[in-house]
Parts: sequence; C-alpha cells; structure tokens
Amino acid sequence: MTALGELTRPWQAMSYGFLDPSAKRELRRAMLKAVAVPGCQIPYASREVPMARGWGTGGLQVTLTLVNPGSVVKVIDQGADDSVNAVSIRQFVEKVTGARGTWDTQEATILQSRHRIPEERLREDQILVLQVPNPEPLRPVQPNMSVARQMHADADYGRLWLVLYEQIVRSGRIMQGASYPAMVNDRHVMTPSPIPRWDLPKLNMARHLTLLSAGREKRIFAVPPFTRVEPLAFADIPFRVEDHASLVCHRSGVTGFFMNEIPQAGGDSRHELSDSHFGIKAIRRAEGEAVEIGATWYRNGAMS
Amino acid sequence: MAYVATRGGERAIAQAERLYREDLGPVDRDRVTAIARSLPWLVDRVMGEASLYEPELAALALAQTGGDLYEAVLLLRAWRTTQPRLAIAQPVTQDRLFTLRRISAAFKDIPGGQILGPTLDYSHRILATGVLEDQPLTPAPVQKADHPAPPHHPSLAAWQKAQGLVADPPREEVAPDAIPDLTREPLLFPAPRAHRLQSLARADSGGVLALGYSAMRGYGNAHPTVNELRLAEAELRVRHPRGTVFSAGRVKISQAEVAAKNGGTRIRLGFAATLGWNEVKVISAATLDLNAAGAAKGAPTEEEFFLYHTEPVEASGFCIHFKLPHYVTFQSSLDAMRDAKAGGAATTETGPPAGCSDRSGDSAGASAAAALPDPVEPIRETTE
Repeated sequence: MTALGELTRPWQAMSYGFLDPSAKRELRRAMLKAVAVPGCQIPYASREVPMARGWGTGGLQVTLTLVNPGSVVKVIDQGADDSVNAVSIRQFVEKVTGARGTWDTQEATILQSRHRIPEERLREDQILVLQVPNPEPLRPVQPNMSVARQMHADADYGRLWLVLYEQIVRSGRIMQGASYPAMVNDRHVMTPSPIPRWDLPKLNMARHLTLLSAGREKRIFAVPPFTRVEPLAFADIPFRVEDHASLVCHRSGVTGFFMNEIPQAGGDSRHELSDSHFGIKAIRRAEGEAVEIGATWYRNGAMS
Repeated sequence: MAYVATRGGERAIAQAERLYREDLGPVDRDRVTAIARSLPWLVDRVMGEASLYEPELAALALAQTGGDLYEAVLLLRAWRTTQPRLAIAQPVTQDRLFTLRRISAAFKDIPGGQILGPTLDYSHRILATGVLEDQPLTPAPVQKADHPAPPHHPSLAAWQKAQGLVADPPREEVAPDAIPDLTREPLLFPAPRAHRLQSLARADSGGVLALGYSAMRGYGNAHPTVNELRLAEAELRVRHPRGTVFSAGRVKISQAEVAAKNGGTRIRLGFAATLGWNEVKVISAATLDLNAAGAAKGAPTEEEFFLYHTEPVEASGFCIHFKLPHYVTFQSSLDAMRDAKAGGAATTETGPPAGCSDRSGDSAGASAAAALPDPVEPIRETTE
C-alpha cells in the first residue's frame, strides 16, 4: 500500500515565489487572456499576499508568477528604487524567489512600478508590471462595476469624452493629471494606472510587454508589444504631457525629463529627476565613471 | 554620491518595524495562550473575517500584531491562501448543528424551544472597577436546568415551509468540487449565491454592521425580524480517501435568518453564517442579504455595493495606502492647474503657451484666475 508520505513532496513552509501553483496557474491564464485582448480588464481571484491591499499586491502577484531564479527584478515607487514600499516589495521578491534585485533599468528583466515608467527605453526581453489602484477608467462616470463592464462591451465611452470636454469648458484646458485614459488597439479604453501623462506615450507601439494588475480590485489588463495606445483627445485640442521639458535637475544638471518638485523655504522650488537611478547614473557619468545609460524615450524634452 | 546618501529607505523601514515590535515586546506561547483563553469573542471575530477556523493561529495573529484587527486578519488571510485543500466537508444542515443558543423573535415559542444559552443580552453593563481594587470578577456558578436542552433543533424555516409561509425550492445537488469558491475565483455580478454568502461570512464585522444598520434604519426595503439566530458547533464530516466518512472535529459557527413581512403572501428570508460566534455580524449580514433583491444600483443594500465595501482586507489596505507617496500624481495635476491658472491652453497650439511654466503667480496669472473662477463642484478626473 502507498504510504501517505510517498504521495506528497517534503513539507516546505512556503511554495516557490510564495503563491501556490493553483494561484499561479490562474494568473497565467488571466495574463494570456489579457495579452490576447489588449486593454480589456480580465478578472482574477487575486490571492492575499503578505502585504496590505493597495500596496502593490496586484503587481506583486504578477511578478511572483513571472519570476524565476534567473530573473533580475527592479521595483520602483514614484520612480525611486529606494522608496520605502519599493524596497519592501523588492526584498520580499528576493527572499521568496532567489531572484536578484537591481536598481538598473537596463539590467532588469522584470520591472514592477508604481506611478512611473523609467526614462530609459525598455526592450523586447523586459516586462513592465504596473501596480494599479483602480483598473476602471469609467469609475468616475459609472462607479458600478457591472454597468461599467457592459459599457466596455458596447465600447460606450461617450461619457469619458464628455468629462474631458467639461474640463476644457470649465478650466480652459484638459485637467486630467495622471491616469490619463487611453484607447488601446482601437477597442478598449484603459487607465494606464496613475503614471503621469509624460509616461503615456511610452506605451504606444512599445517593444516591451506591459502588464497592469490591480490586486484589490482583482483585474488584470495588458499592453502587448507593438500595440497602439492613444490618449483620448480632441482633433483641435491635442493631448499634452506635463510641461517638464525645460526643467533642470538640481542634482545632476540633466534636463528634458519628468521631475519631482521640491518646495524650498524661500518660496521657490527646485527640481530633481523623478527616475532616481537614471539620475544616479547621470551623476556618476558626470563624475567620470564609465556608466552605461540606455537610449531614452524622450530626447531634448520631446518624445522621439 | 549625495543623491543616494539623502535617501535611506532600506534602513528606515527596518528600524520602523523594530520600533513597533520593541513596544510589543517578545511574543511567546504563553502570550498566545492567554489571548486564546481570555478573549474568545475577539478570536472568533478574527477567525470569521479571516475565514480560517484555527483559534490558536488567530490568537497568534492577535499577539503578533498587538491586537490591530486588520493586521491580524491580513496575516491569517495571507497564510490561509497558501494552504492546500485536503478535503471538502459534507454539507451541514441546521438540524445537525450542536446548538448552544437559539432564539426567534418571530414567535413566542418555537418547536424545539427558545434556548438562551450564553449571552450578555440581559446583563447590566456596569464596568467592574472593583477588579482593579483586587476584587476579582468571579462568575457565579451556573445552576443546571432540570432537563438539559437537546443538542439538535429543527430549523424554524422547516416549519414555515411546511405551512407554506416560506418558499421551498428543491434542493440542488452540487458536487463538492463544483461549489463556487470566492477565495479562488473573482467576485463578479450578479454573484452566485454561494459567493455572496461566502463574502458576507468573511466580511468586516464593523462594515457589515454599518451598511446593515443603514438598511435597518430605513435605507433598505425590508425591516428584518429575527426568524432564527443560532450559536452552534458544526461537525466537519469528511470523506477519507478509503471512503469512510469521519468527523474531523467541530467548528463554532453563528447563523442568522431574518424575515421580511412585506413580501406579499410569503415570508422572505435573508441568511448569513460565519465561522466563530458573532451575532451582530450575522444579523447585519442577513439583513443585507434580505434587502439585496431589487436594490437600486449604488444603494447600500445593493449586492455589489455591500460586498465590495465590507471586505476588510481590501478596504483597510486601500485606506492605509494613502500613506504611500503620491507626489508623481500630485505633480501631474499641479502642472495642469498652474497652466489653467496662467491662462489656460484651450488653443490649437501643441506647445505650451508662454508663461505657463511660471511658478510665481504673477499678475497675469492672477487676472486669468479671476476670469476663470474655481468651479464650485470639483472637476472630475477619470481615475485615481
């Protein structure tokens, strides 16, 4: 007779990558569906992970499913690798998968990010995982998810255009800040997660795969490589990124990229590069080190 | 390397956690045992919200978090989700419960009798300050009834069904593996009934009370009458791979059935059950279940509304996530605000108009702001 011990593997405190195989299998299926229908929100069970909901649990589940011991993982929050929650997530991924952490965009195979896309161009062999607080671009016009789902099915986006039009009428311009809604592959409007408008053009016809995962809201969607991502805008009032092109980073002297504004006691502001490791590399190069900086999406402050 | 030196995320988070743990002091088995013994109702509440029946682990989670309930529930949920499913227990019907407390507000007496069981319902809520002056609160011994109450009781709804007062749909046979499982499938709407009841079973007690209470006060369409409330122990009957059915132990459960009287010729029932004993939660949850049918979109009694907003791990996590830095999104909005203030750009130009990057709020900016007063209603953005 078979002993019970022969039917099971030796006991381990945790599965590889924390999630058990059934959770990973479900997530892989959802990811494949998301890639097959770009921009369409695919529901998934979204397991609890040892972090609070809203703190990157959706991105984390995707990263934990994609990762293997050979992966190199970069995690950023607001563009910074050493932001406290980015540190916490990267340490967790390293601990439960044996993958190596990095700050270098060029070196990473998986990049998990909250609110930014790095300034250096991503390649075909890299995957960008964006943490998504709210996957539903229709939420402000339709908070009910069942109804919003129907509106996506009907490609019924008139009320989103109306919101943008309303902003122009009331404020003289489109007031949408981050999370700017975009049409993906001419079919589904998605929120690109709260990345600044500056980063949205980086998703259009990109070489890399972007997976956007909302753990709390249990939805995943994707922008596959070479997919059209077009911000909603009007023919006579085009989409505009933040006016950061002429700002100068006071640490690195670099100009032409998205900046953090640091208010100063005297009443004015200084600026620093939001992509923190890009800034570090620029400083190192200026100090004479041989640092490789990848090609950037923006050149001289304009999308290239 | 000044850029790096001014940042110290890795060290900061390590020390912040140490500071928290230092205040709690060492957590050992004695502390866990003391919590399990002295706070059974709290342990029950945590087990219900964690949807994990394990009093010792629940006590450990409470000890490890110092009693922060949302943290304790998250610890248990994150542990539970990685555990293998060894077996699916057989269904438990009401008349097979080992019932310790069972009351109905709908009738003076019911078949099987009203069993008060353990409750503080009729106690006078006087704080026993004497305990602090070395006069311990020693419980008076319970005087046993002449005849012990029977362990099993019929369901009141069974009597009501026989009377034709409650609809009696035929029992649906569902294979164990085919039972919808909220913890392994996304919640979609309209939700299968199993998902709704599972979600309520693991809902936040306070959240369910808030929304249930709103329905009770009048934001619902039905006023609940407690048809039957039970505190019981359910036997977990599991099929061994060899085929024998055996008891794997008992779990404490609470369940409530509330009735609406305004349902026409029949009584409509709302139902909820949870692991552990938590009467407020099951009465509130059953009230929401009762009110869900036909509720307007966006009403607190609408299924989507109450299931989403009473999920303790999601709600608490999202609430505390606002502590995370949001300066990129803030910067993005500031850019649009300053530009609008500086005169707007509702033009066909692709480049920014002159002066839009001016941060000083000069007179040109001020006059433009006067021309376009701040709207009374906030401007809608599409997400975030």
